[in-house]
Amino acid sequence: MKKVISILLVLILGLGVFTACSNEEDPADTSETTEATEGGETTTGDEGEDEALSGTVKTGGSTSVEKVMTALIYQFQADNPDATIEYEMNGSGDGIKNTISGMYEIGHSSRDLKTDGTEDGLVATPYAIDGIAVVVHQDNEVESLNADQLRDIYTGKITNWSEVGGKDAPITVVTREASSGTRSAFAEIIGLEEDDATAIVASATTCDSTGAVQTTVSQNENAIGYMSFSDVDTTKVKTVQFDGVEISTETLKDDSYKLKREFYLVTKEGATLSPVAQAFIDFVLSDAGQQLVTDNNLLPVD
Amino acid sequence: MKDHSILRSARTKSAVELVMHILFIVCGLLAVIAVLFISIYMIASGGPAIAKIGVFKFLFGQIWNPEAGQFGILPFILSSIVATALSILIAVPIGVGAAIFLTYMAGKKTGGIFLFIVELLASIPSVVYGLLGAMLVAPMIFKLQTMLSLPQSGSLLSATIVLVIMILPTIISVSASSLQAVPKTYNDASLALGSSKIQSIFKVLLPAAKSGIIAGIVLGVGRAIGETMAVMMVAGNAAMMPTLLGPVRLLTVGISLEWAYSSGLHREALYGIGLVLFVFIMIINIVLNIILKKGGKKA
Repeated sequence: MKKVISILLVLILGLGVFTACSNEEDPADTSETTEATEGGETTTGDEGEDEALSGTVKTGGSTSVEKVMTALIYQFQADNPDATIEYEMNGSGDGIKNTISGMYEIGHSSRDLKTDGTEDGLVATPYAIDGIAVVVHQDNEVESLNADQLRDIYTGKITNWSEVGGKDAPITVVTREASSGTRSAFAEIIGLEEDDATAIVASATTCDSTGAVQTTVSQNENAIGYMSFSDVDTTKVKTVQFDGVEISTETLKDDSYKLKREFYLVTKEGATLSPVAQAFIDFVLSDAGQQLVTDNNLLPVD
Repeated sequence: MKDHSILRSARTKSAVELVMHILFIVCGLLAVIAVLFISIYMIASGGPAIAKIGVFKFLFGQIWNPEAGQFGILPFILSSIVATALSILIAVPIGVGAAIFLTYMAGKKTGGIFLFIVELLASIPSVVYGLLGAMLVAPMIFKLQTMLSLPQSGSLLSATIVLVIMILPTIISVSASSLQAVPKTYNDASLALGSSKIQSIFKVLLPAAKSGIIAGIVLGVGRAIGETMAVMMVAGNAAMMPTLLGPVRLLTVGISLEWAYSSGLHREALYGIGLVLFVFIMIINIVLNIILKKGGKKA
């Protein structure tokens, strides 16, 4: 008898745990729904500055902008507690595609819009500039490379450092994985991956993150890689000049260093944005937003 | 007065029986449902991409270039097979040798400490093996590559060495327990017939423990083919046909490397790789089951 009772008690307690869990979840669910319904009521016009902004804006796209965009959204939502910016990370391509289809009000892109007609009817507003640094091992003597040399290295035509003024050693090409934003920006600027002849050599060591590129290059005296300038640690790797120009905040600003890309907010041309979406874009381009851009080791736009 | 009614206790008893019965059925079903769900999900999400790309082009295509719409995973499949086969070839003699030492040569005390260390080895997270591989193994291979004037990079050899260390504990412990299960009388009989200790080990004990050792090997194959993290850190991950000293990308790495940024057909193709891997693992498990069943019948 006692055993039966204890088993029943255990079962009841166990049930209690489950109900407790679902009870806890319920209020959260309701609060979320309320938030969403509140979002449905749109505030009127720009005049309503006194009125608190409320609503949800669906955005999505590039993963390269994650660091800075998360910081921007966090600050914006802290300033406007009733406003929510959703950010789906699925790559620049999807960000642009879904902005065209209307799924996102704002798309995030780490590349400029294509001019082949497939991405017409959109406006890309740049808000940050990111330099792409070409990095080699610290002991590497090569100081400068130009676009042609880089292209030949990455397509496998140049395989030895002596061909570009270094010591006699085979080059280890380090690249990012397919569909990485950094990879496509780098490839576009130096003219890679346009056709079979300019495909990145298959034997290239492939890393899945900026950090992995830096680690791989720092451990391999014959390696060459490319990465976001904001993440370069000069105690680990050496940056190579591009066309004789050293990468720095200054050379990026005065446009003399050409290996760079911009981060964009993509919207529909001529469309009236919801107040929250408009306020968010204004915030990103404001002094406070641009300060966050600078804080995240990117260059602000002027 | 205590309640001693047979009827009442029978009633509560049957209620408990029923509740527990249902509870156990639910528990059992959960596992089955999980497997079923995963199987259906893998086929449903990986199948269409393979069909779109074309089974032959997908499985036997030699070029993986998602940007250009080329989705050939033959390099990944071959790399996975070669890396697994090589690591098994190296790990089995060492592992079985260690198991023989553990069972017949080491004393009880030494054997115990030895087994404890082996089990410790088995429980080290794979990312730690990857770290060791990247810090210790890869630089040694770099030197070898420089000597042969090849570019320094992660390589099939580094990946194989890391895999060997990772699958050794499995092979050692499974082989040791199957050797220990061989009746002592076999050994006594063979020694009494005049065979030496070594003869007895190779001619009598090893054959008797064969099915257990094979099971250990198959388990090792399963672990090697499914390993991702450690391999990704040392293999160089280039999508090219495997060469011993060149970078390779295994099936598992093929998925995890490009997962984050992929979209559309590219992502579906990654599911396709998952399906191929899933089929590989299923085949290994079926083989394992057959071996274990055969072994069970003999004994």
